[in-house]
Amino acid sequence: MFTRGTLIFIGQRVVLIVFTVLAVSSIVFLGIHRLPGDALFNEHLHGEQYALLLHHYNLDKPLLTQYWDFIVALVTRGDLGESLVNRGVKITPLVLRELGISVELGGFALIFTIGLGLLFGVVASVRQNTWVDYVLSTTSVIGYSMPNFVIATFLILVFGKWLEGVTGGTFYYQLGAWKGDLGQLWLPAFALGFPYASIVARLTRASMLEVVRQDYIRTARAKGLRETVIVVRHALRNALIPVITILGPLAIGIITGSVVIENLFGIPGLGKEFAQSILNRDYFIVIGVFTMYAAMVGLANLVVDLAYVVIDPRIRY
Amino acid sequence: MAVTVRVDAVSEPVQASLWSDAWRRLRRNRLALAAAIYLILLVGVAIVAIFYTPYRMSATGIAPDYATPSLAHWLGADNLGRDQLSRLMIGAQISLIVGVGTQLLVLAVGVPIGLLAGYYRGWLDQVVTFVINVFYGVPDLLVALILVFLLGPSLANIIIAIVVTRWMDMARLVRGQTLALREREFIEAGRASGAKPMKMLFGHIMPNALGPIIVQATFGVPSAILFEAFLSFLGAGVQQPTPSWGSMAKDGVDAIQFAPHMVIAPAIVLSLTLMAFNFLGDGLRDALDPRSRR
Amino acid sequence: MPTPILQVKGLRTEFLTDGGIVRAVDDVTFDLYPGETLGIVGESGSGKSVTALSLLRLVPDPGRVVGGQVLFRNEDLLQISEDDIRQIRGRDIAMIFQDPQSSLNPVLKTGFQIDEAMLAHGTPKGQAHARTIELLKKVRIPAAESRVKDFPHQLSGGMRQRAMIAMGLANTPSILIADEPTTALDVTVQAQILELLADLNRELGTAIVMITHDMGVVAGLCTRVIVMYAGQIVEEGPVEQIFDNPQHPYTWSLLRSIPRVDALRHERLRSIEGIAPDLLHPPKGCRFHPRCPFRVEKCFTDEPSLEEVAPNQKAACWVTMERARREMGADELVDIRPGAGSGVRRGELR
Repeated sequence: MFTRGTLIFIGQRVVLIVFTVLAVSSIVFLGIHRLPGDALFNEHLHGEQYALLLHHYNLDKPLLTQYWDFIVALVTRGDLGESLVNRGVKITPLVLRELGISVELGGFALIFTIGLGLLFGVVASVRQNTWVDYVLSTTSVIGYSMPNFVIATFLILVFGKWLEGVTGGTFYYQLGAWKGDLGQLWLPAFALGFPYASIVARLTRASMLEVVRQDYIRTARAKGLRETVIVVRHALRNALIPVITILGPLAIGIITGSVVIENLFGIPGLGKEFAQSILNRDYFIVIGVFTMYAAMVGLANLVVDLAYVVIDPRIRY
Repeated sequence: MAVTVRVDAVSEPVQASLWSDAWRRLRRNRLALAAAIYLILLVGVAIVAIFYTPYRMSATGIAPDYATPSLAHWLGADNLGRDQLSRLMIGAQISLIVGVGTQLLVLAVGVPIGLLAGYYRGWLDQVVTFVINVFYGVPDLLVALILVFLLGPSLANIIIAIVVTRWMDMARLVRGQTLALREREFIEAGRASGAKPMKMLFGHIMPNALGPIIVQATFGVPSAILFEAFLSFLGAGVQQPTPSWGSMAKDGVDAIQFAPHMVIAPAIVLSLTLMAFNFLGDGLRDALDPRSRR
Repeated sequence: MPTPILQVKGLRTEFLTDGGIVRAVDDVTFDLYPGETLGIVGESGSGKSVTALSLLRLVPDPGRVVGGQVLFRNEDLLQISEDDIRQIRGRDIAMIFQDPQSSLNPVLKTGFQIDEAMLAHGTPKGQAHARTIELLKKVRIPAAESRVKDFPHQLSGGMRQRAMIAMGLANTPSILIADEPTTALDVTVQAQILELLADLNRELGTAIVMITHDMGVVAGLCTRVIVMYAGQIVEEGPVEQIFDNPQHPYTWSLLRSIPRVDALRHERLRSIEGIAPDLLHPPKGCRFHPRCPFRVEKCFTDEPSLEEVAPNQKAACWVTMERARREMGADELVDIRPGAGSGVRRGELR
């Protein structure tokens, strides 16, 4: 499956990702450092104190020097600098910790997205033009039309308020857990993943309907295979190929969505940090978070490309 | 084989019947029709809200804070005692302005870029394609969020931020359409007879790509509305006291334990609106391109 | 005559389309004897492939078998349960298809797809795997041991069709239905595949139903032939007899469209005049009459039935070739060229 060519391909892509990450953080860095120095601080500082602070954050040098120092620190030490608001807090360990939490949430959401999406899509295609199909297809449109915060809000209302007696009100994520309690994670993960599950379902359905018309499905049937084997082994594997294409945008969607969902459920991940640091004007953290996001998007796209290799033997790098 | 000889081989495929056929198919799609009716009502509400709202949307304390729905305040009041219904009506204006305004700008930016890239190909196309791919590779909403903060939150800046991050859907579509259309005989004939490029692009290619463009724009509206709601929900949207469905939902979520009515109304209206645009888009796509139907 | 292994009686298959009902197979009746090679010939749209698919209930939507019987081992394959027909498919009656490129699943290994045919009918995994290699050798695929691990796209067209045949033979079925198995292949490979099928028929005694539009293929492989036109059987009989003495004008036209090595240079290859009938609105009377050079008044109004015209030979025609020849003289008959705008008009043959 993975040949030497694949390894070379992975190597090239990793290099490309590193450069993309640097490019993205550079753009954000330069965009933010365009602001006048005092706009970066919330306090009104003057004189020596202000100069000290500027010096502390390396802001007293020319922009190009600042940028060079930033890149060197990032590449050599993985250092993203220090928070502007909470002085002394290093950004790299902060965002790495938060990244872990977000990955956990996002991964769980992806299970909903792909699991439910494939299930609904396959069932709708197998039961094409029956009421099952219509219900699932309509649910799909409703699903991707509902903003995730609306879904989240209704989930909170139902499980957190109306069913509080049943759930004990423990629908909020508990702080500080690297391995969060999955029992508490499933509500936010569902709210985050479901809109995209609808998209996966629509695509899977269309793709399945295309595939089941293919000659090799007829061959499989002529061999006397069971219908479930035909659907899962012969149809679904082929139907997945076009579905994989949207996994890249999907990963971006989940990252984006996590900003809202983490805020709503109080999950201390990257998304919450991102919104918070923007509102607090803690711009250096924004750079850090965005660097993480760029890396995640790059990795997600790499995984997608490798998924093609696993699913479709005709694709080799 | 019976071969019908087309005497008018260089005439354009756009025909009056295409649009009337599409209209006929659209009318038969009950879901799309219901969506259209809902949207017409919504536009009506937004227009009425210019002249009349039950209360002034920014007037605080006209009802007790967090007042539940009553005859005087059909949807209750918010955390500052402002009338929810009035705010929802103004919110409709904001959402529609953002949705439609964004798409108009996206059309103005995306259509020419797509036309030029698809028609001239070569380096121009490569540059455009590269830029489009770069934009597809970044989390659009988060870029918009940063932009809004760098530009300062206002309705115009929100629209600009959304256009900057969402123009490429349209550009990509138009580029693809142009690439396909420029090979068709009526375009070749036009080129051979020395028609000016601009006339070819806007007089011949664009009208023939109008169907997909309309569908794309229809789908673009809910995505822009959703964007604005997201931004407002995160506190980066239209600034108080101007209401937006997103910021109203945010205020509602903060009070969800004791005043759930505050979040329910904007959440439902927002979802219905997005759904209506999506159903309408589906209906338009099916009507304008019968081949893509299930 | 031995007892038939498969009896098809009054088979009817319809397609429900936007324009109305298409009767793709309209009252088709024939027998298949053990170990024989039966050709079913016709143009595209004649219903030959749909007939084959109907036997195993594989007709795709919106098609539906609406009538008749397919008797196999005293069971009507059209009536038994979905699970029972599944057991028959691939085990007792196997089928191979036209385009081996699209008929093999691109994402599964070729060997596994053959294994599967056996696994589906209860053969243990190891045994199936060993037999796959054996089968691939039997269909003359070189380096069979390593080829099992190849994906279909790594094989040549001829090898893919051999693999398909191996898949068809996996459970040593008593009937192999081959739906245009050589159409997508180039000529030399075609000949090899036909030879292979003939050998396998001889060695294993598998009855072969060969669906084709090519009379040449029939001549090379089959002992008996059924000619279909517009969803109906128009002629049926032993191959040699039919080639020497076609009794239906359509069969005659088909035979004239085979390129021959011994043909005189000025004799041009002829295609059949006119287009295949629109099955949504089939012609009244004999379905072939709009294209028939020998039609008479009756052909416009009444449908002929399949009648014995010679020993073992049946044809459905009001004016069989025999009569035409007798009434018009043999020389004249040869001169009538379909497509040459011949002057045969309605009623002229009377």
